[in-house]
Amino acid sequence: MSAIDLVDIHKTYKGKVKALRGVSLDVNEGEIYGLLGPNGAGKSTLVKIIMTVIHATKSSGTVLGLPIGSVDGLKQIGYLPEHHRFPEYLTGTQVLLFYSALSGVDRSTRKKRASELLNRLGLRDWGSKKIQTYSKGMLQRLGIAQALMNNPKLLILDEPTDGVDPVGRREIRDLLSELKAEGHAIFLNSHLLSELEMVCDRVAIMVKGEVTMQGTIDSLTNESKRIEIEIECTPPSWTHEVFDKVDGQTMTVYGDDTSSVQPLIDRLRTDECAIRSVKPVRESLEDLFMRAVDYIDNPGSHGENE
Amino acid sequence: MTVFKALLIDSYRQLSAAKLFWLTLGLSGLIVILYGSIGFNDQGVTVLYGIFDVESEFITAGSPWARGLYMGIYSTFLVTIWLAWVATILALISTCSIFPDFVSEGSIELSLSKPITRLRLFFMKYLVSMLFVMLQVSIFCLGVFLCVGLRLGEWNWMIFVAIPIVTLFYSYLFAVTVLVGMLTKSGIASLLVTGVFWMTLFSVSASEGILTGIVTSQEVQIERYQEGIEKQQAKLDEIIAKSSGDFRIESKRSHIDKMKEENEDSIELLGKVKAWEEPISWILTLLPKTGQTIGLLDRWISSDDGFDLAAIMRGDMSELDNVEETDPTSHYAVKRETKKRVEEDYDGRSLWYVIGTSVIFEGIILGIASMIFCRRDF
Repeated sequence: MSAIDLVDIHKTYKGKVKALRGVSLDVNEGEIYGLLGPNGAGKSTLVKIIMTVIHATKSSGTVLGLPIGSVDGLKQIGYLPEHHRFPEYLTGTQVLLFYSALSGVDRSTRKKRASELLNRLGLRDWGSKKIQTYSKGMLQRLGIAQALMNNPKLLILDEPTDGVDPVGRREIRDLLSELKAEGHAIFLNSHLLSELEMVCDRVAIMVKGEVTMQGTIDSLTNESKRIEIEIECTPPSWTHEVFDKVDGQTMTVYGDDTSSVQPLIDRLRTDECAIRSVKPVRESLEDLFMRAVDYIDNPGSHGENE
Repeated sequence: MTVFKALLIDSYRQLSAAKLFWLTLGLSGLIVILYGSIGFNDQGVTVLYGIFDVESEFITAGSPWARGLYMGIYSTFLVTIWLAWVATILALISTCSIFPDFVSEGSIELSLSKPITRLRLFFMKYLVSMLFVMLQVSIFCLGVFLCVGLRLGEWNWMIFVAIPIVTLFYSYLFAVTVLVGMLTKSGIASLLVTGVFWMTLFSVSASEGILTGIVTSQEVQIERYQEGIEKQQAKLDEIIAKSSGDFRIESKRSHIDKMKEENEDSIELLGKVKAWEEPISWILTLLPKTGQTIGLLDRWISSDDGFDLAAIMRGDMSELDNVEETDPTSHYAVKRETKKRVEEDYDGRSLWYVIGTSVIFEGIILGIASMIFCRRDF
């Protein structure tokens, strides 16, 4: 069963602004799924539709096997909204107890989970302090703890590392890995590509209300795998015929088959051409992201880039 | 129940975090202390725990006058002025931002993502937002209950009727605050619009009161004139039957003509005023009746011995006068009868009229606000 299975989600705001144009994606149980996209791509709108904060214009699909927006479904989801704002008159513990009570978690479980999660998120000494004294990073960690209070099957985190320092980010990444190992499905919405690259099993790239790419990072970057050879001499004329691309003193062979470049290296040496470097190159998530954005902005130029 | 309890506790925490809550509670406490400082002895009334004595022949310990005065201070000043005006304004200031804060970005997502339907969440939030008023009035009533018990020896549980009455009264206004809060997401705008709405209610209610008074007064006048005309006509007929040349005939005829003329003026004025009074009464029927809702307390805690507490507190002792009228068309006779009928009219207005129609209005306002809440994208 998919944790999230969205089919053809549309959202048109008043004034005919199309925020989502038929988004379909599926998140498997026990995986970390990352949703990427530039500002205004519709990522938060999609998350808010899953969490019933926004009504879709047209939608079908399921969340944890239940229709989108089902109350029973929401019981099993933990959610950290972007720019969340907890009441400042509450302490950290009170925040956890209050929001888990709204989730219908019973009293004894609430108390136990609150204490456990404050420990786990490094807020043990802060539970009794008013949250107006918390730093941005601490609020973010408290938000994650809040999302975990009902021990959800599916965790939806919107920009979870926003405002968190590098140490805190690493802790959150480790936590996400632990949660994945415990069997939680995690849907992560972030613009921090390097963060996502480190933890996500699969990603979707969303641009202008459409999912333009979806899959494992490996499969999405597979096409871009190549071996680049940099030389110190002027490329001999034959290189233009055997290499896929020759750009100055850099020559490229697409694919990751290292055996195919060995005879070419030998031939360059025979021609007494010094080799500066030979390196396998794979497109980063950032490159992939930029390519997806660029494709939407300039659909005609996609082939030329390739 | 878990959800409601959580919202209730949260509401208390929110209110108790506000200085205005404690300020209002402190002022309420001060008023109760001052109220409790009024006592009675055989010589009259003592004020500020015996610092001042006011001698009185009637208002002495154990007398119905003492009870009337003490309960009258409660219903007329403490409830009508303090709870229904000053404390309500403070409560509206304290609570006007509850809904705008609730639906603000970053906060509403956390609530809406929980497994509660929007409608349930909305109404639960509305109910727990009444906590400010309920708590304040409850503590206040408890203080008054103790004062009345200790000062009069009467443990009057009806004092606590003020809790539902004042809460209900406040809920009429708060419904408007919520609707404006939903539309504008602004606490200040909610407060201002609610203030204007409250003043409008006050104006409509006052206009209706004044017009009802004029209509009743003219009706009494017309009745009295007609009775007078009939009596004078009978006397005239009697005089003519005895002697057609009686010197009184002309003056009687002239008096009857004058009364007929005045009666016609009254009928004309009644017609004109009714043209205003009827639509205003209809408008008031559709609106919440804030003043009349608070007025229920007077009805329910008045003593059965014919005492009009409100009248005593207003300094209007005419109710207690048992004056025989020689001329029923005289100004004072008409005024007295008008006042009696107007009071009977207000006292006779059913709970359905006072509360039922007000609650329907509140329901419509809340219905619109909840529909906005349920349908809005946050």
